[in-house]
Amino acid sequence: MKTAWKELTRRPGPFITAGGALTLITMLLLLLGGLLDGLYLSATAAIRAQSASAIVFSTDARDDLIRSHIDPATRAQIAAVPGVESTSGFGLTLVGAQVPSVTDPVPVAVFGYEAANAQVPAPLPTGQVYADTSLRAQGVRFGQTLLLGQAKTPVAVKGWVSDTSYLFQGGLWANAGTWQQVLAANRPDQALAPGSFQAILVTPHQGLSPQRVAQQIDAAVLGVNALTKEQAIMALPGVSQQKSTFASIINTTFLVAGLVVALFFALVTLERVGLFGVLKAIGANSRTLAAGLALQALLIATGALALGGVLTVGFSFIVPSTVPLQLLPGRAAVTAVGLVLTALVGSAISFRRIVRIDPASAVGGS
Amino acid sequence: MSALTMEEVRKVYGSGETAVVALDHATLSVGDDEMVALVGPSGSGKTTLLSIAGGLLSPSEGEVHVGPHEITQYDRRELTRFRREFIGFVFQGANLVPFLTAKENLLVAADLAGRKGRTAERRAESLLEGLGLADRMGNQPGALSGGERQRVAIGRALVNEPELVLFDEPTSALDTKIGEQVMDLIRTEVKGRETAAIVVTHDSRMTHFADRVVEITDGRLKAPGPA
Amino acid sequence: MSLAWTEIKRAKLRFGLLTGAVALLVFLIMFLQTLSETLLKDFIGGLENQSASVLAYSKDARRNLDASVVTPQQVQQVARVPGVGASGPLGEATFTVRSAAGRLESTTFFGYEPGGAGAPTTLSSGRLPQSDGEAVASTTGTAGFAIGDRVSVQPGGYSVTIVGLADNATFNVQPTLFVSYPSFELAARAQNPQAKAVLASAVAVDPAAGVSAQELASEITQQVSGIEALDRATAVSSLPGVSSIQQSFGLILLLAFFVVVLVTGFFFLILTVQKASALTLLRAIGASTAYLLRSLALQVTMVALSGVVIAGALLTVVAATSKNNFPIKADPVLIVEVGVAVLVLAIAASIGALRRIARIDPATATSRGGQGGLV
Repeated sequence: MKTAWKELTRRPGPFITAGGALTLITMLLLLLGGLLDGLYLSATAAIRAQSASAIVFSTDARDDLIRSHIDPATRAQIAAVPGVESTSGFGLTLVGAQVPSVTDPVPVAVFGYEAANAQVPAPLPTGQVYADTSLRAQGVRFGQTLLLGQAKTPVAVKGWVSDTSYLFQGGLWANAGTWQQVLAANRPDQALAPGSFQAILVTPHQGLSPQRVAQQIDAAVLGVNALTKEQAIMALPGVSQQKSTFASIINTTFLVAGLVVALFFALVTLERVGLFGVLKAIGANSRTLAAGLALQALLIATGALALGGVLTVGFSFIVPSTVPLQLLPGRAAVTAVGLVLTALVGSAISFRRIVRIDPASAVGGS
Repeated sequence: MSALTMEEVRKVYGSGETAVVALDHATLSVGDDEMVALVGPSGSGKTTLLSIAGGLLSPSEGEVHVGPHEITQYDRRELTRFRREFIGFVFQGANLVPFLTAKENLLVAADLAGRKGRTAERRAESLLEGLGLADRMGNQPGALSGGERQRVAIGRALVNEPELVLFDEPTSALDTKIGEQVMDLIRTEVKGRETAAIVVTHDSRMTHFADRVVEITDGRLKAPGPA
Repeated sequence: MSLAWTEIKRAKLRFGLLTGAVALLVFLIMFLQTLSETLLKDFIGGLENQSASVLAYSKDARRNLDASVVTPQQVQQVARVPGVGASGPLGEATFTVRSAAGRLESTTFFGYEPGGAGAPTTLSSGRLPQSDGEAVASTTGTAGFAIGDRVSVQPGGYSVTIVGLADNATFNVQPTLFVSYPSFELAARAQNPQAKAVLASAVAVDPAAGVSAQELASEITQQVSGIEALDRATAVSSLPGVSSIQQSFGLILLLAFFVVVLVTGFFFLILTVQKASALTLLRAIGASTAYLLRSLALQVTMVALSGVVIAGALLTVVAATSKNNFPIKADPVLIVEVGVAVLVLAIAASIGALRRIARIDPATATSRGGQGGLV
């Protein structure tokens, strides 16, 4: 094993090229994962932020938040379903905001809500909003008054919240009244009667599963579709498609990494047949030699991960803001484990050859 | 006790019509600190005999004893362990690991036999000093001359205090003067440690360093060893 | 060229692994390329393949059609700008419809003035809508959107009949229907009776004869307050998602190409180094450098081509099994393009190996080469 380490450090030449290929592959994997996470997070933040575990849409909206509407009568029916502890209204409208000292309008998502959730405290008085921290990059500052939409409805930024955007548009969290105002003034084509919301958030009774409550609501109330939070997230446009498409791209890339490592070790082992023969003659068994190979694979993979990781992070700073890249530690960990395992499996392809090397071949010259 | 006893050893490759008998009726004894030269043309079976004596090959028939160990029926794993601890090999071209220093080449062999730490290091150092390589210990083979490399190979063969050391044409890649130095060295080391040695060579100028010469032709030994 | 082929036959594992790696990488490249093109087309097709060459958005929509709303006054103001040939409101919205197959589908609606700007331009069968209640549908492969099918907006039940089909006309990755503007209004009201008004998303404009689209666009932007007008190409490329898709995929494609080059070049270099003594021998007995170079080039070509062929086959299989609402089409032109690029890159990558061969001195054939990695 020590010999394997010494070979790597003293004759790094061939290992460097394989390491180079793996570094690029690491970057590929991290970027793909980062894109997937970025897309997922920004598309789903509004729903992930909810502490309610079930969300009710109108059936015809096909689980699309913007098209859904639930009037007060239907809401009352939902609230009356046994198992429902409480309901809370939730609305959304997308408008452009005029930010002081910023020329172009900034796209924002105005959320109307009634109760505090995991990310956002209880609603502010009418005319005041919490702003998502992503809007800071767009020039929004605490205390500013933003003018929303063509009608220039004014709202004042009185606090910050994070991870609460909708499809890349930073969130502004307003109480129901403010939100209704913005909606009526700027999107009369999407207007809703007072008291109506796009979705109703449901908190079930203690101990009742969100699944059960959703089923009960569906059974009891006409014209609505109740989903658990997870289902609602998955139903967001494009989310599950993106996940599966990216997942297969990422898996293909892992496979490529495995093949590259296997190829590399197949080549290098061939070069070392004589050396292994001699080592076996003086008493090394196949297991020791294979372990050395596995160690080298591990070291190459680790080096590639480190370098690839650093390069990817550096890269993320120069990537334009239109690219939805989010480098998450969880994804990095999965990539690291996956690459190490792939490298080990790839090196194992050469184990058979090692076993077949006959120590007697060391005697008798070349 | 003799270091090596081979009794009617036969090695056949293949079967039926295409069978090749590499070694036949090979009976040989080598004493505890005896140095035997094994001489024969290429294809005579001397490599096969060396390999069987050293536990690299198993015989088709016959018995092989090295010291107190009967290795005839050993499987691959047992043979590997056996070679590790009781046999030393010096190959035709030294066959050192190119990216390890002279001392490290010895330590690899020691490590395989479970000898680690300062004890093993000191042993390697003293061996190399005795072989005249005190100031070349830290060099990689690429920075050593042919004779020096062969000496490192001898050190590697001796580091685990084997019962039997097997030399495969140790001087064929060296010029006469260096070759004689190496043979002299081999004799000194072997005699000094009471280790037995078989030196395969086709070079008749070198055979006088040995205690006795055994000839082999077409798989058969000409002068059977002393009983 | 039996030397090249013989070597491959005798080292099946190595060449197999290399071809496998190249094939997968090339497949990745092709798949990503296809994916990004398909995604783009599915996003923007509807806007790209309609007849208005200038589109006027509301300024604070930031070039996002979904977020844009223009008032009737603004529509009239745009019409009065000199250089405007024909203009009319363009409504764009997503409604839930029940298709003729009975399923609920999220569908994009484009409402335009029949005979005016905004009509679909890639009609492949049937005809354009001539009255309210008629629609041209994008060809999506989704059941229930064929000519003659009747689809109804939910809620409300307002229905239209499909009279024609247009290619590459999807918008926002959804089935898309082109209807008359009055139909659009009716659909919107049926879907949300609480809405106070139905507003157009943009103004579709055709320039008068002799006026360029860009000039007209900037004229309109200057003259009508609250409006930003763009020529069609700019509008399409400014749609949200377009640049992020292009940049993201561009990045990944670049990396993938790099890996192909590195892996191929490295493999052939090592192979050549391993064969050094054999090659020297061949040179010594009279093989010319050109012969050896040709032999290597042949191997590189065989590996690259096999990789491309396998990748193309994989892509076709994946395309055939891809879901209906997210169809990936295996484009033969793309396969050839990527194949040629990979081949050229692979040969370029093996330059290192080729140079090594060229530098071999046959006189060294008589000295001993390395003994399998030992000294």
